[in-house]
Amino acid sequence: MMGEKSKRSALMQQVQEFFYAEETPYGLALVRMILPAVALIPMFRRFPRVRELFSSDGAPQQLTELFGHGAVLPELPAVLASALYGLMLFALVSAIFGFRTRTSLLIGTPLYVYFNMLDSVGTMTKYTVIASHVLLILTISPCGAVWSIDGLLRRWREGRAAAIPPVFPVWPARLIQMLFAFVYFGAAITKVQTTAFFSGEQMRYWMFSDWNYPNPLGELVAMSPAILLASGYLTVVWEVSFPFLVWRPVGRFYSLGFGVVFHLLTIFLLGLYIFPFICIPCYLGYLMERDIVVLRGWLRRLRLPTGFVAAPRVGLARLIAARPAAVPLSLLWAGFAMLCTVAGAEADYRFDVYGIRTAGGPLPLKSMDPVVARTMINSQRSLREKDKFFSFNIGTRMMAGQLANAGDTFSIGETIIAQCNLNTPHEDLWVECVVEDEQRRVVDVAGQFVTRDLLFSNFPWKTCDRFIPGRYFFVLKSSGQEIARRAFTLTGEACQIPTGGLLTN
Amino acid sequence: MRVRRWASAVFITVWFLVLSGGIIGHALKMPVVGNVFGYFIVWDMFCGWQAYDNRTHMIGEDSDGNYYQIREPWGPFQPFNAVDRVNYDVSNYLATRHIRNVLRHSSHPPLDRIYVVQEIWGKQYNAPDHLWHRCFAEPRDKVSVFSLRAICAADGSPIESNPDWFLAQTLNTIADNPRLRLQAQAARPYYNTFFNPRAALGGAVDAPVFNPQGGVGLNTN
Repeated sequence: MMGEKSKRSALMQQVQEFFYAEETPYGLALVRMILPAVALIPMFRRFPRVRELFSSDGAPQQLTELFGHGAVLPELPAVLASALYGLMLFALVSAIFGFRTRTSLLIGTPLYVYFNMLDSVGTMTKYTVIASHVLLILTISPCGAVWSIDGLLRRWREGRAAAIPPVFPVWPARLIQMLFAFVYFGAAITKVQTTAFFSGEQMRYWMFSDWNYPNPLGELVAMSPAILLASGYLTVVWEVSFPFLVWRPVGRFYSLGFGVVFHLLTIFLLGLYIFPFICIPCYLGYLMERDIVVLRGWLRRLRLPTGFVAAPRVGLARLIAARPAAVPLSLLWAGFAMLCTVAGAEADYRFDVYGIRTAGGPLPLKSMDPVVARTMINSQRSLREKDKFFSFNIGTRMMAGQLANAGDTFSIGETIIAQCNLNTPHEDLWVECVVEDEQRRVVDVAGQFVTRDLLFSNFPWKTCDRFIPGRYFFVLKSSGQEIARRAFTLTGEACQIPTGGLLTN
Repeated sequence: MRVRRWASAVFITVWFLVLSGGIIGHALKMPVVGNVFGYFIVWDMFCGWQAYDNRTHMIGEDSDGNYYQIREPWGPFQPFNAVDRVNYDVSNYLATRHIRNVLRHSSHPPLDRIYVVQEIWGKQYNAPDHLWHRCFAEPRDKVSVFSLRAICAADGSPIESNPDWFLAQTLNTIADNPRLRLQAQAARPYYNTFFNPRAALGGAVDAPVFNPQGGVGLNTN
């Protein structure tokens, strides 16, 4: 009984230690400096379009509308929306420098969520959800206590008394850490539930879409099923193991190191340019006080100049400190905020997004060729048979149902696999694979039903049966139409015909 | 200090439970997370995919038979790459607002109809030239298919709406089976002969039903 009680209290002690150990929040300060800066990149891009995307004079599409709840959020007149947008930009920039950090985040975070939710089509994404969670945690955290204008001003004001960095319970950092454990575990569940993730088709088609930024490496990898499969399995294993390893002394290096590589690869493979730079800075939330001490030691030993990183913050702090003594900090912040709010409204007028005040405004609609327009409107054209097929390849080795080694030269004795990959949705198909010799004489034919649920179909051929060295063609046919043709060469010597006598019945 | 500690403990607990709810709800596909709140706690990045690429075109027609692109003349906003914002609206919710916004802020003759057309092509045609020549032996002859998604009035309100091409194609693959078509036809009663227990008890009747005792009569529609 006593043992159980002491076990329980030991567990409670561990939980208490996990959430309420007191440390200087360097990790949180780093997240505060980098995350809003990245989150602001897409928001600054949208600044000239506030009227169009986020105001009642444009075409916002609220997230609540997508879920059938109607337009729950107020859609403000363009001038007001632009003014608030300006305030949001100022508040988040102010949070980056740590000037009136709590106030900045208290104003910037709800506005960031509000504007994102107003444009669910082109602004709201899962990275903005992650950023919203982290901004919320930063708002209620002491992230502005160090490496901030607030911290500098306090130190200059209090002198020696403020020389020791302040300490706070670590639970806000733990929440950021736990958030990523949830994100990755949830993402693994999504992958397990996603059709064709583990056979590579899902990633292949994503890599071939142009919905994200350019991804030339992804397009190259999309044609390599072996890489797609291996990376798919590795990713799921990492995502599932993340929550169990990231708080272990050695496991954290694997979890976070793999995470950095994974997110960097999504830039090149999937064309995600903002997502990785939202996630990777949040990993800085895993840095505890002792890690910062170690890192500082390394930097000192390497004699790397680090002073320039703090220069803008120190410079701004000096400017703020030089203000007239009668002006309180809160009033100064409010003054800047007001200036940015007015500037936001003024910017909207000057951007004149619809070109109403330009010469010849409002701008005319572009006319269309009537033949093209009518063709598009009345088109009865159905998919070509060949468009139901993604690719046709031949090889000898399979991996998770996919052809792993496409080639065009084989030895007699090998089993050649002809594989067609299909685009879905497609109807139930009868697909044939015909083998022709160089004179286009049919050597063999195989056909099979490819039902609507199938994404690929294989035709294995034993080359020992009837082939002699030479050049042949695999011809893929569907609905009697030739879809694709692949030439291949057989080398080696023809197989010996079995000498077991001739069976006559 | 004690109040702060308690408040933080409550916040941590609620936050943990909410995110756990998101994971469990997503794993078990519970509808409780299929709402706006759920969007913030479910991590379903890249959950779907399509083998065909598609773009949305909006075409306005005036009474003289002239056609106009209903595309922002001031330049469409492209949120992530070179694809217009309206294309990211997979559910076609944005169409009405988009049409209204473009027409409201541009000069054009009075329009009678706006056609929303979906353009579809196989994603293999997105491959860059060097990759096409390496991986595909066939000539690169991309041909798009067009599907009329909706017809809208001049104010953008929909007059006719069709399922999107992907859904229509999926339904067609099923309807392509004559046996299934026959069974579906045979299973659909010509007369509505449903028994309505509430009407039989003499309660309020929402719709007419075949109920000789109640005297509601036979619905022959």
